[in-house]
Amino acid sequence: MHAILMNLAILAYVVATGLAFAYLVERQEWIHRLARVATGAGWALQTTALVALGHALGRPPLGSLPEAVSVAVWVLVLLEMWLERRSGLKVLGAFVLPIVLVFSLKSAAAHQQLPEIVPTLSGAWLWVHIGLALIGIAAFALNFAGALMYLLQERQLKARRPGALYYRLPDLETLDRLTYRTLALGFPFLTTGLVLGVLWAGAAWGSVFAFDPLALLSAVAWVIYAGTLAGRAAGWHGRRAAYFAVIGFAALVLTLGAGLFLPGRHG
Amino acid sequence: MALFVAGLSHKNAPVELREQLALEEDKLRELLRDVAATGAAREAVVLSTCNRVEVYAVAEAPGEARAAMFRHLCRHRGVDPAAVEAALYTHLEGDAVRHAFRVTASLDSMMIGEPQILGQVKDAFALAQSCETVGPALHTMFTQAFAVAKKVRTETEIARHAVSVSFAAVELAKKIFGGLAGKAILLVGAGKMSELAARHLVEQGAFPIYVANRTWARAQDLARALAGTPVPFDALDAALAGADIVITSTAASEPVVALDRARGAMHGRGARPLFFIDIAVPRNVEASVNTLDNVYCYDIDDLRQVVDANIRERLREAQRAEALVEREVARYLARLGDVEVIPTIVSLRERLEEIRAGEVRRTLARLGGASPETREAIEALSAAIVNKILHAPITKLRESSRAGSSRSWLDLVHELFALGRK
Repeated sequence: MHAILMNLAILAYVVATGLAFAYLVERQEWIHRLARVATGAGWALQTTALVALGHALGRPPLGSLPEAVSVAVWVLVLLEMWLERRSGLKVLGAFVLPIVLVFSLKSAAAHQQLPEIVPTLSGAWLWVHIGLALIGIAAFALNFAGALMYLLQERQLKARRPGALYYRLPDLETLDRLTYRTLALGFPFLTTGLVLGVLWAGAAWGSVFAFDPLALLSAVAWVIYAGTLAGRAAGWHGRRAAYFAVIGFAALVLTLGAGLFLPGRHG
Repeated sequence: MALFVAGLSHKNAPVELREQLALEEDKLRELLRDVAATGAAREAVVLSTCNRVEVYAVAEAPGEARAAMFRHLCRHRGVDPAAVEAALYTHLEGDAVRHAFRVTASLDSMMIGEPQILGQVKDAFALAQSCETVGPALHTMFTQAFAVAKKVRTETEIARHAVSVSFAAVELAKKIFGGLAGKAILLVGAGKMSELAARHLVEQGAFPIYVANRTWARAQDLARALAGTPVPFDALDAALAGADIVITSTAASEPVVALDRARGAMHGRGARPLFFIDIAVPRNVEASVNTLDNVYCYDIDDLRQVVDANIRERLREAQRAEALVEREVARYLARLGDVEVIPTIVSLRERLEEIRAGEVRRTLARLGGASPETREAIEALSAAIVNKILHAPITKLRESSRAGSSRSWLDLVHELFALGRK
C-alpha cells in the first residue's frame, strides 16, 4: 500500500519538477499555480505513504536510511512550500524539486524490501536523533538551492551580459539572506541530532565513530557548516558563503550516499 | 453600420508626414464637431500623437466617412491628400477592435511597452466624449481596450525592463542590493546623465548622496541640486569606503578608480557590495575592478548591452502579450455577438411564455377542482416543454453570432415564430 502511494507521490514530484522548469522558462502564472498544486499533491500522497508505512512497521518510518531519507524529503517539500509562499520566491521550486526528486527516487529504489530493525536500535532518543538530523538536512538542501541561485545570479551580474536567468532570479541580497537563514535554521538541528547520535551510540555500542562511514562523513559536513557559520559571523557573505553551502551539501549528499551504499551501522 | 479605424503610424508613414497631420486639441475638437455636424460618422474618436494619427469611427459607409475625415484633416494642414491616402491603413470590425487593443496595450508602439500611449488614448477618448461623438460601440470598445492594456501590463513583462541607460543602472542596483533604501550614492564628476541616474536612485530610496568634483564649486552646486553633501576630491578614498553605489563621469584621461583604490574601498566593509556605474569615456574605473569579489562595475557600453538585452526580453514578452490580446479580442467579439442576438432571444422566450401561460390558464379553468399538486405539475410540465424546445434555437443563435452569420438566422427565427419587427 505504502509503496503504491509513494510511487504516486514521486510521480507528482516528477510532474511538479517539470512544471517548475516550465515556469522558469515561460513565466506563465498558471504554470506556477499548477506546479504548486502538483507539489502539494505529492506531499499529501507522501504523507499518507509515510503514515501507512509507519502503521505497517509499528514504529516511526525512520529505522532505516531509505526511510529516513524519505522523511527528509517530506520535510524539505514542506519547507519549500512554506518558504515559497512566504517569500514569494516563485522560482524556488525549480531549484529544490530536482533535489526532492533525486532523493525520493533513491530512497524508493531502496524501499522495496522492509528492513528488520536492528535490536540495538531502540529508544526514544534514537528517533529524536534521526528526526532532528533530518530537519537539518532538509534545511541544508534549501541552503544549497539558495546558494546555487546566488552563484548563478552573481555570475550573470559579473558577466555584465544579462541572460534569461538574470530576469528570472531575485536579487543577490534576497538570495544571500536566504542562504544565511537556512544555514542558521539547519545548523542547530544538525548539531543536536549529531550530538544525540554520538551520546546514544556511546551508550548503545560503547564506541562513538568506530568505523561507521556515515558518522564520520556527517562529522565532516558538520565541520564545514560550523566553519561557514563562523565565517558568516566574521563578515563572510555572498560568493564565499555560497561556495561553502555547496561544499557542505555535497558532503551531506556523500554522507547519505555512503549510508545507502557502504556497509555500516546506519544500514 | 460598421466600425473601422483608419490612420497612419510610425510603421508606415515617415515622420514628415506624421508631424504635418498631428493636431492640437482645439483642432481635434473642430474635426470631431465637424464629423458630428455633417453626420459623416455616427461615432468617432481621433487619436493624434507624434507616432500616429488615427480615426476610430462607426459609420454607415466607412469608405466615405474615412475619406471625409481625412479630407478635413488634410485641408486643415495643407497636406496633399494623395500622399496621405497612400500611407493610410484601414481595419474593419474585428480587425479594428484588435488594432485598438494592440495600440492601447502599447504593442504597436515604437518602443514596445512604453507607458505613455495608454494615457494618450484615454485623452483622445475623453476629448471625443466631451464633443459627444462617443456612442455605445466606441464606448464599449475603448473601455475594454483600457482593461486589456492594464491586464497586459500586469500579466506580462513588456513594460518591466528598463530601456534607458539610467533606468537600466537602477535595475542593476536593485538586482545587487535588493531594496535601495539607505544605500549611499557617491557621484564622482558632474554631468547630466550621472545626475539623472542619481535622481532615479534617490526616487527608489537611496540616501545619502555625496558629490566629489575636482572643482569644489561644482561639487557644491550639484550637491545642492540633489540635496547631497559635497566631499573634497582628495577625500575620495574615505568617500568610496562609505559608498554603496558610485557613479563616475569625470573627463579624466586616466582612471580615477584603479584596482588598488577599489580594493582599499572594499577593505573592512563586510557584506556590503560596491556597484560602480562608470558613464565616462574614457572610463574612470579600471576594468579589472570588476574582478574583485562583491564589486560590480558597469561601463557605458555594458549598460547599453543591458538595455539591448532588456529590449530583447520585452520583445519576447510581447509575443505573450499578443496572444493575450488575441484571446481578449475573441472574447470581446463573442460578447458583442451575443449582444446582437439577445433581443431576439428575449422576445422568443416571451412569445413562448405567453403561449404557455395562456394554455395553462385555460386548462386549469377546465379542470376546475384540481388539487394544488396537479396545478403545480401542469405548470412544471409546460415550463419544461418550452425550455426543451427553446434550447436548440437559442444555442444556434448564439453560435451563429459568434461565427458572424447571425443576420440570416435572426430573420429566420423572427419569421418562424412571428416575432414581429426587430
